[in-house]
Amino acid sequence: MDLTGQLRAAILAQYLPHPSSVFLNSLITARSPPPPLPSLVATAKARLLAADLSSSGLLSTGSVPSFPPGVDAAATRELRLQRPVHVQVVDVENLSLSRWEQIEELEAVERGETTRGREVIRVTAEDDNENGESSAQTQTQRSSTRTPTSTGIRPAGKNATHRLVLQDCKGTKVFAMELKRMDSIGVGTTQMGEKILLKAGTVISRGTILLEPDKCILLGGKIEAWQRVWMDGRLARLREAVNEDESRR
Amino acid sequence: MRVLCVAEKPSISKAVAGHLSGGSHQTHNTRNQYIKNYSFDFDFGAPWGQCSVTMTCVTGHLTNVEFTPEYKNWSHPPPESLFRAPVVTSVHDARYARLLVIWTDCDREGEHIGHEIVTAAQAGNADIQVKRARFSNIERAHVLSAARSLANLDEKQVDAVSTRIELDLRIGYAFTRFITNSLRPLGGPMENLTLSYGSCQFPTLGFVVDRYFRVKNFVPEPFWSIKMMHNRDSKKVNFLWQRNHLFDRMSTVILYERCLSAKTATVTKVQEKPTRKFKPLPLTTVELQKAATRLLRMTGQQAMTIAEGLYNKGFISYPRTETDRFDKGMNLRALVQKQTPDQRWGQFSQALVDGNFQQPREGRHDDKAHPPIHPITYAAPSVLTFDEGRLYEYVVRRFLACCSDDAKGMASDVNLEYGEEIFSAHGVIVLERNYLDVFVYESWNNSVELPKFTVGERFQPTEALMAEGKTSPPGYLTEADLISLMDANGIGTDATMAEHIQKIQDREYVATIDRSGQASAADEEPGNAPPARGGRGRGGRGGRGSRGGRGRGGASSAGSQRGVQVFVPTQLGVALILGFDRMNFETSLGKPFLRKEMELKMKAICEGRTSKEVVLRESIAQYRHVFMQTQERLDVLRAACREFVFARPGG
Repeated sequence: MDLTGQLRAAILAQYLPHPSSVFLNSLITARSPPPPLPSLVATAKARLLAADLSSSGLLSTGSVPSFPPGVDAAATRELRLQRPVHVQVVDVENLSLSRWEQIEELEAVERGETTRGREVIRVTAEDDNENGESSAQTQTQRSSTRTPTSTGIRPAGKNATHRLVLQDCKGTKVFAMELKRMDSIGVGTTQMGEKILLKAGTVISRGTILLEPDKCILLGGKIEAWQRVWMDGRLARLREAVNEDESRR
Repeated sequence: MRVLCVAEKPSISKAVAGHLSGGSHQTHNTRNQYIKNYSFDFDFGAPWGQCSVTMTCVTGHLTNVEFTPEYKNWSHPPPESLFRAPVVTSVHDARYARLLVIWTDCDREGEHIGHEIVTAAQAGNADIQVKRARFSNIERAHVLSAARSLANLDEKQVDAVSTRIELDLRIGYAFTRFITNSLRPLGGPMENLTLSYGSCQFPTLGFVVDRYFRVKNFVPEPFWSIKMMHNRDSKKVNFLWQRNHLFDRMSTVILYERCLSAKTATVTKVQEKPTRKFKPLPLTTVELQKAATRLLRMTGQQAMTIAEGLYNKGFISYPRTETDRFDKGMNLRALVQKQTPDQRWGQFSQALVDGNFQQPREGRHDDKAHPPIHPITYAAPSVLTFDEGRLYEYVVRRFLACCSDDAKGMASDVNLEYGEEIFSAHGVIVLERNYLDVFVYESWNNSVELPKFTVGERFQPTEALMAEGKTSPPGYLTEADLISLMDANGIGTDATMAEHIQKIQDREYVATIDRSGQASAADEEPGNAPPARGGRGRGGRGGRGSRGGRGRGGASSAGSQRGVQVFVPTQLGVALILGFDRMNFETSLGKPFLRKEMELKMKAICEGRTSKEVVLRESIAQYRHVFMQTQERLDVLRAACREFVFARPGG
């Protein structure tokens, strides 16, 4: 097998979407002689996970499946994916928390405060650094006591239910909901542009993809610019949703 | 050898003299109508031996910290100069002897009063030796043992209190004068107000304002859930959806539909296991106040005044304590034994004595000065006032509960899978009530007994419904809530919280209303507090007299019949807090952060980690900085007053 073939095989073995030959060639020919295979694979993976599936030229459009037609039809009681589909996250929300609760939390952070139980805590730049540097162990201890971070997002509870908006390589957006809780999904932990592989057999009910641990693979990655815009706009979106909700009644 | 013993107040002086003399003491009047001197002989043990003792007392703080006369004018020199102005301490007279034994209450404030007594005594007799009696109640054996194991005054605690007094004086006066001078010119209702500032008062007010706006701004949201009920053996079992509820209708519909299409539910877990309801922890001051406001419908301040009275009469131990664990060496059974004569809990106490006694749980707090609040001797209902009786009853029942066993029961859990959704039911059967029999303030009831389910069994639920609900706003703060918030945020000490809460009501920054919504009758009865503790400016202004001397009368029964009271801010209270918040400093005065830091520094002084000088320098610099910022942004505070007090939005 030539280097392009080896590289493609290595990428596919990691459940990543089918890369285009142009992309693979550009990686291989960027340096002469080309770097060793493992570093080529690592580069390719990083590029794919950070790419916009719907508009970058990195994918082999012919070989990457998209959602079947009618995927978002609310009238369809149940539909199953016939082929695996790669998607990217464009929104995530925690359906177990009221929006108002989340607004209050974000507003407190805007004022430079957060709470731990009844205690009001001042959030300072110093604390942020501390959080960043503290060992993994303290981090888990912290999250287990549900201590909010300076971003104003508390770790989701163990019975929380999240709803995501997923986008395929053609740009089609569909709702997805946790049918079973997956710890790595959460507001603040799930990144915009994060890639997910939905396996064949994934259930879609009334236009909503039902996520289960054995039916999908969270590949990671993010699109930095999307994430920033999403974070910055979160408070405004929550406020809008609450107001809309209220005016409807 | 001649020995002078000085207590902090007349009741303690009398009690200690009584115990040390065995009742055979001579009583002399003094110039002060409240103070009696007692003389008797007592053997303090080595190295003092048999001594001729005079026992007297003071009435609270002896000294008063104040500014020199040129700083008494409110407008000149300008208030900010008060951060640097000289303060003087004026000392009253005292007598002398070879040995001076301090019998003030054993806490920081008592230590400081002890120091004042020493200073006064040394003015007349520089060579006088000084010792301190450590005691936490005035029961005879305890007092005698304290007299025979005298210790030294703790200078660190003395320093902490004098630091606090000086900071409160400077900060309080500077901001009070500045705010008052700046806002009076707005005229109208503000013209004659004195707008007092206190570094505890404002954060306390801040909590009330914060909650008020959380309630006011609240937007209700709909949520949906799946309710499942199954009828078996003519018992209705309600199962709870593991997701509880979701704030999205469509998502709930999808999950509900999948339940229905699954038709049957499968039992995945059936468990029966012993469970218990824990008896309460030993009683601290904060918990006493919370219980008194919640269960007895007293104010925190009333509760403290009554508790103080019960302590002075020797019925309960010292009521200002943070400790929630009993020392292993304490003979608790003997204390339980003393409660056996009572009609209400005598039988229960007897059962404890006869073998049901269990060592109390241990909390994590220990102030190393006092044990948890507990009864010392038995007080028959006839010797107590109505409110004293109720508070004493709580202290006793709580203590007896601590000394008995947890309540025990059997819990059963059944989990189901219905479609992909998980539901569960929980039932409890109470088997042994134990402490609940005496602790009437808590209950634990049997829930519906679950019928038999078997793992793996499949059945069709009798009913599965989709239900809709709506979120509701939080409630306004009750006094118990407010105390908890102050406690969690380090505002005031356990002993001073009630005073701060009272103060912001006296200043008309907040008002109480009945939880149902009506304003309660303004209870503005000036209390005739006894002279002793009323004079102590704990956490408030230091010194005796003018400002600190007012306490809510403990004997008032006006408060006993009211409903649950909640706090709402007045327009003035809102204006002050929003005015400071909108100045957008890093730390608004309406927030707890600065004060919390100060309390932590007091603690650090007590533990020898920092010194009075360092803390004074740092804290004064901090508040002075905020003061300067406040001056610069005064327009913001004025605008807030116009907006809320004069109801001119945007004005």
